[in-house]
Amino acid sequence: MTRALILLRRRLVGSIFVLLIVVIGSFLLLEAAPGDAVDAYIVSTGGDAGMIELLRHRWGLDQSELTRLANYLWALLHLDLGQSVTFSRPIREIILERLPTTLILMGSATALSFGLGSALGIYAGARPGSFRDRLLSIGSLALYAVPGFWLGLVLIVVFAVDLRWLPIGGIETIASGKTGLARAADIATHLVLPVSALGFIYLALYLRMMRAGMAEAWRQDFVLAARARGLPRRRIVLAHVARNALLPLVTMLGLQSAQMLGGSVVIESVFAVPGLGRLAQEAVAGRDTLLLLGIILVSAVLVIGINLLVDLAYAFLDPRVGASEAGV
Amino acid sequence: MRQLRRFFRTPETVAGAAILVLLVAMALAAPLLFPRDPQAIAGPALLPPFQDWSLPLGTDRLGRDVLAELFHGARTSLAVGLAAAAAALLIGAAVGTLAGFAGGVIDEVLMRVTDAFQTVPSFLLALAFVSIVGPSLGVVVAAIALGAWTGPARVARAEVLSICERDYVAGARVIGMHPLEIAFREVLPNALPPVLALSSVIVAAAILTEAALSFLGLGDPNRVTWGDMIAEGRAVLRTAPYLSIFPGIALVLTVLGVYLAGEGVVESTAVRRSLS
Amino acid sequence: MSELISRRGLLAGSALLLASTALPAIGRAQTPKKGGRLIVAADSEPRNLNPAIVASNGVFFISSKVVETLAEASFDGKDGLQPRLALSWEGAADGLSVTFKLRDGVKWHDGKPFSSADVAFSALQIWKPLQNLGRTVFKDLVAVDTPDELTAVFKFAKPTPFQLIRNALPALTSVVPKHVYENGKIEENPANNAPVGTGPFKFAEYKAGQYYRLARNDDYWGKEEPYLDEIIYQVLPDRTSAAAALEAEEIQLAAFSAVPLADLDRISKVPGLKVVTKGYEGLTYQLVVEINHRRKELADLKVRQAIAHAIDKDFVVKTIFLGYAATATGPVPKNDPQFYTAEVPTYAFDVAKANALLDEAGYKRADDGRRFALKLLPAPYFNETKQFGDYLRQALAAIGIDAQIVNNDSAAHIKAVYTDHAFDLAVGPPVFRGDPAISTTILVQSGIPDGVPFSNQGGYKNADLDALIAKASETLDTATRTGLYKEFQKKVAADLPLINVAEWSFISVARDTVGNIANNPRWAVSNWADTYLES
Repeated sequence: MTRALILLRRRLVGSIFVLLIVVIGSFLLLEAAPGDAVDAYIVSTGGDAGMIELLRHRWGLDQSELTRLANYLWALLHLDLGQSVTFSRPIREIILERLPTTLILMGSATALSFGLGSALGIYAGARPGSFRDRLLSIGSLALYAVPGFWLGLVLIVVFAVDLRWLPIGGIETIASGKTGLARAADIATHLVLPVSALGFIYLALYLRMMRAGMAEAWRQDFVLAARARGLPRRRIVLAHVARNALLPLVTMLGLQSAQMLGGSVVIESVFAVPGLGRLAQEAVAGRDTLLLLGIILVSAVLVIGINLLVDLAYAFLDPRVGASEAGV
Repeated sequence: MRQLRRFFRTPETVAGAAILVLLVAMALAAPLLFPRDPQAIAGPALLPPFQDWSLPLGTDRLGRDVLAELFHGARTSLAVGLAAAAAALLIGAAVGTLAGFAGGVIDEVLMRVTDAFQTVPSFLLALAFVSIVGPSLGVVVAAIALGAWTGPARVARAEVLSICERDYVAGARVIGMHPLEIAFREVLPNALPPVLALSSVIVAAAILTEAALSFLGLGDPNRVTWGDMIAEGRAVLRTAPYLSIFPGIALVLTVLGVYLAGEGVVESTAVRRSLS
Repeated sequence: MSELISRRGLLAGSALLLASTALPAIGRAQTPKKGGRLIVAADSEPRNLNPAIVASNGVFFISSKVVETLAEASFDGKDGLQPRLALSWEGAADGLSVTFKLRDGVKWHDGKPFSSADVAFSALQIWKPLQNLGRTVFKDLVAVDTPDELTAVFKFAKPTPFQLIRNALPALTSVVPKHVYENGKIEENPANNAPVGTGPFKFAEYKAGQYYRLARNDDYWGKEEPYLDEIIYQVLPDRTSAAAALEAEEIQLAAFSAVPLADLDRISKVPGLKVVTKGYEGLTYQLVVEINHRRKELADLKVRQAIAHAIDKDFVVKTIFLGYAATATGPVPKNDPQFYTAEVPTYAFDVAKANALLDEAGYKRADDGRRFALKLLPAPYFNETKQFGDYLRQALAAIGIDAQIVNNDSAAHIKAVYTDHAFDLAVGPPVFRGDPAISTTILVQSGIPDGVPFSNQGGYKNADLDALIAKASETLDTATRTGLYKEFQKKVAADLPLINVAEWSFISVARDTVGNIANNPRWAVSNWADTYLES
């Protein structure tokens, strides 16, 4: 496993640079924004010049950008994400509160799109060019092309308002006092619609990748050999063709983890799910620079972590990869 | 000729191409068929479709002609999609080629920057960028390209790395060509096809991103886009569903068309490449 | 009685529309039931819930049930008021003092007794120095004498009109406990996020992004009140979800037009739901075209008149507000019982006249039919302000003015209009708060520093108008003062420092089972002590 260790060390060093770029880049971007947190705040209150000056001073916005960036980076060294001006609470607290929701939502949606997508992809790719292959490919593409917010709204109208099978939004029944399994079941029913809306969008990605990979694999020598040997078709599909096409999907999983958070901004807003995506949107609207930085930082760490896991898994599954990377 | 035949081999690509041709025709015909400002108020508000044949698809919340908006929307949506894809491919190919060809520190720095962009959710980046610079068509295009160039950059770099090993590059070095000249005149053109293969995905994603930005109120208010029409229509989803369904169908068809046609191109060139 | 009619007149069109659905449900006399949980839609989560510091509707919506004011607005009380923490109020003839007699036997939620010391502390330490609106109204307040536990005497350095103080009572006088706030910085007090008050409900719980929970205050001073056991504010950030939540019976009330206007007609036909237009008479929003007078074209009165003539106010009311609004004539809304006058210059919708005025002003159409281009910034806070922006662009195109819309989010809009003055025309929704001196005169007054939101940042300067505003602010006699504000309306309508287009309030949608709603002019932001749920 030393190869994995070398890969790990190399990745960690690189990650620190990546995070630094992300933090400084985001900070500068947000500082360039017209209007600051005070402007965003007085939208709902109004106020005279004296009050505005008072607020800017209290929220530390009268210091120079450089000072604030330096302060932030210094605090970051101590793992302190700072204080949010829109919530007047420590950012770490706020993010930790929302992180589980986002992880459940994105995890379930990823599982749905990856699981269902690759399963359907195998089904389609088992007979490339067949009617079911075409139908599934185009059907999933059409789903991909529907804007997420619209899909969400239609799901709400059908399943929550007309049929009343599922709740319209939120993460759990409000102040229900449920605990344990009952609470888990409650959360699960609340997640069905948002997870479907988010998961179905990305379904096409895995489905099409799977079937493309399989179509390619059918032409490979070892598959031809397996067919020549007269192995049962089902076995060839699963053990040889699909297995070979699965590896690129795992890479995709890592790359896609960052994009999911973006997609969840809209879905979380439609379904009133208190997750990180919506928080990020609120941070942008409220010009809460440090909060947005915190969210981006946390999601970047997540993404880097996931990709690292993917790479390690890859190195484990396919020895050539780790060797070439570690050898550089 | 053979390639063209190959391209039209599957019904999907034919359908994709047909949709695209129709779209381009719509976009080009829009100013001729509907010379008026599509945002002008043309009739009573919320007129249902197929009632008044001067306004065949009805009107929206303010009484604007939905059909005219749909046609003009095709222009903007296509423009956004194509411009964003072009920008993303251009940046991506340039960065990828430079990184792959130069190697060493430059490669390391450029790839870490690429990593950084890939680590941040591209929609979040677009959202922040547009809120900050203010929504206009150019800004929306830039915001989308900002999140989409990393894919092409990676593919270009990988392609360049493999091409650099080949004889004609070594040959160019021997005759003393400037490295940058080699990179962009010899290497890049050969690395381009797989990078271009990504364009259909980017065009489709760009059109959808524009729609999502409009949903959050960050579209260009002086232009009609399908995304904006859907976003506006959602408030009356229950009373006037056609307001979001018509542009929705247009959006779905476009993305399908771009995707299918794109795939056809990739497959026909892929076969050619594997043959050569 | 005439006041009542004029108030209702505001929504005449919509009242007709709703007569069949809403009114019978309200009119039904019934004995309120005790108990139950009322679930309400909330679209935003205010960062500071202390209504003494932040006097805004978003904060009141939640915290007015927890923290009470000295008096509340009323449909039929004297001067449009009903007592809350104060039982009576009286102004001295010299305008230098106002005496409040306070309610006896009131307790804070932590069990400590309420007294005049709390009022004095709130007024001097919070309303005057910290509150967004109080900083203007109470600027001359120098002391609050407390001769006994139940008497508070406000002392002013300069004569202050009693009418103004009276009109400010419902929104500006939230009383918070001195013993909670006296130590440490008031702005950083944890009670700002979990308010402590004397109201019918105690603040129980807040789950960010999910809900606020208020629980019944068993020691409330009101007899039998409150009727509800709990109020829950469910956070629903997307505007379309409130209607769905009502239909799915997950919430029972959506106030502040959380249900989009375009959906009201449909939802009023859903069995079990009622659409209520009453209960916001004291919270009138005005649709206003703000003008940057630094632009030479717009500094010309003829051009401003042309723009006023180009706007079809009836179209705006009918199409954008779907009848849930009234056309405006000037800076005071028609439904205000004290100040409004209809005797002002008006601008009928007349495109030909508008074109003629522009020709007269010397801005002839160029070959492409355009006279000049403008930058138009619609405020993003309401759907209707944005839609009006789209409409205004078309209305201006009809008279040869090419308006390019600049779409900003809230923070960028505030900065662009009120600090950077980077606009030619803007669409804004200022609030009329019962007295022109609270937040209306600053829309046209000159000499306001840059960066003050919802004020005259268009560079307009009119010495006559400034003098009139200054005189009204120190006139003590109610009738004279009212007369001056009528004069003010005439002058504004004549010189058009800004163009008032329409006035609107909000709409509530509730399940039929929710009783005693909309029974005062600020109902959504009042204390809901008598609101109940039929089972």
